[in-house]
Amino acid sequence: MDSHDQGHDRMLQDFLAGELDPADVSRWDEHLLGCELCWRAVREDRDARRAVQLLRKPALPWLSERIRFAVEVAAAPQAGSDPPSGHGGLLSRARLAIAAVALVAVIAGAVLLPGLLVGGRAPGRARLPAAVSVVADYARAIPPGPRTQMPGERLRSAPVLVGRRVMVLPGHQRIVLSAWRVDGVTAVAAVSSRYFPMPGGARRISGQGMAWLARLGNLRLYCINGRPSELVAARVPEATLALLAASLPA
Amino acid sequence: MAADHRVFLDATLPHLDAVYQVARHAARDGVEPEDLVQETFLRAYAAFDRYRGGSMRAWLAAICLNAARSEARSRRRRPWDLPARTPLDGPPATSLADGPEAADVADIVIAGLDAAEVSRCLAMLPEPQRLSIVLMDLAGYTASETAEVLGCPRGTVLARVHRGRRRLAQLLAEAGVRHGQP
Repeated sequence: MDSHDQGHDRMLQDFLAGELDPADVSRWDEHLLGCELCWRAVREDRDARRAVQLLRKPALPWLSERIRFAVEVAAAPQAGSDPPSGHGGLLSRARLAIAAVALVAVIAGAVLLPGLLVGGRAPGRARLPAAVSVVADYARAIPPGPRTQMPGERLRSAPVLVGRRVMVLPGHQRIVLSAWRVDGVTAVAAVSSRYFPMPGGARRISGQGMAWLARLGNLRLYCINGRPSELVAARVPEATLALLAASLPA
Repeated sequence: MAADHRVFLDATLPHLDAVYQVARHAARDGVEPEDLVQETFLRAYAAFDRYRGGSMRAWLAAICLNAARSEARSRRRRPWDLPARTPLDGPPATSLADGPEAADVADIVIAGLDAAEVSRCLAMLPEPQRLSIVLMDLAGYTASETAEVLGCPRGTVLARVHRGRRRLAQLLAEAGVRHGQP
């Protein structure tokens, strides 16, 4: 105990880690009373541990929901390709495939309801592109604002970001989603480095589908494809959608 | 939702706070810790069929550290990609154990300054020591889990964390940080 060699240092580390047996702990307690070198090492170790606690910041409550949402979205488009199987072998793999197909069916059913209209016309049973479907689902999941229409032809206040941005990967397309409140209206903005495909029945408002407008029930979508591409979804009349989209920060 | 989503989320979400602590200190410039946490869970989900037991949170931390490195590399290739910091960000990384009612403005300011100094001093440590301290002292990992994350023997972790703490204490003393001093 008196010599401060490597073995001594190892015992000190074990002492600090609380891994010595009671007899060794007693010996160390006695040693510390007379050894300034070791006492200083213990003090520094303890002080640093305490100081580091200042950096602790608990995960914010919404982060859990964000992760849950992102995982669910990431899982959905994988049903037809290569779903993660969990760790239960072939049976789990088969179960997941069935469950994932069912999930896609539920989402597709919700999106392609008979009452769903695109650009005022029935779109038939055309499948909504995954990237557009995710944005629409997210916009539906966000609680609506107190208003469904803009109070005037001009904005009265600056857009306010609601919550945090969310990154999703439908079909391996990276999309950043954010929710905004503008004059009492809630809108979802999606940004991606890849184009948002024009869904069947959408109205083209510029050549080659670079910009398009679509309606899904009471939800309207306004997209400008480019670098990056932007898609805005909101429960507002068509006339105010462009104004709303233009008001959101890039 | 598919059953295995739930299995995955049930198994991993309890470790969200630990992963968040790691992400806050692994995220490089321009990367939000929350984005890194999300990327970690998405990667973990994609690799869930390759998870072979052991410490779930150690597995998640290893993925988080790898994701931080690859995200930093991909950011260098995407200079146009803007950080997603929002105006709703909370107060600085200062936690006051006694709650807001016990802390007056001066305490909050001092604690905030001290936290910034601790963060600065921690960043001065060699990465193996810094990561060991972040994992064990901040995220609450055991020495065995930390060894699993960093791929080194447990004794090495204990040595690194002890040397790192002592160096950190000395740096803080030089900086005149009140917290941590006897």
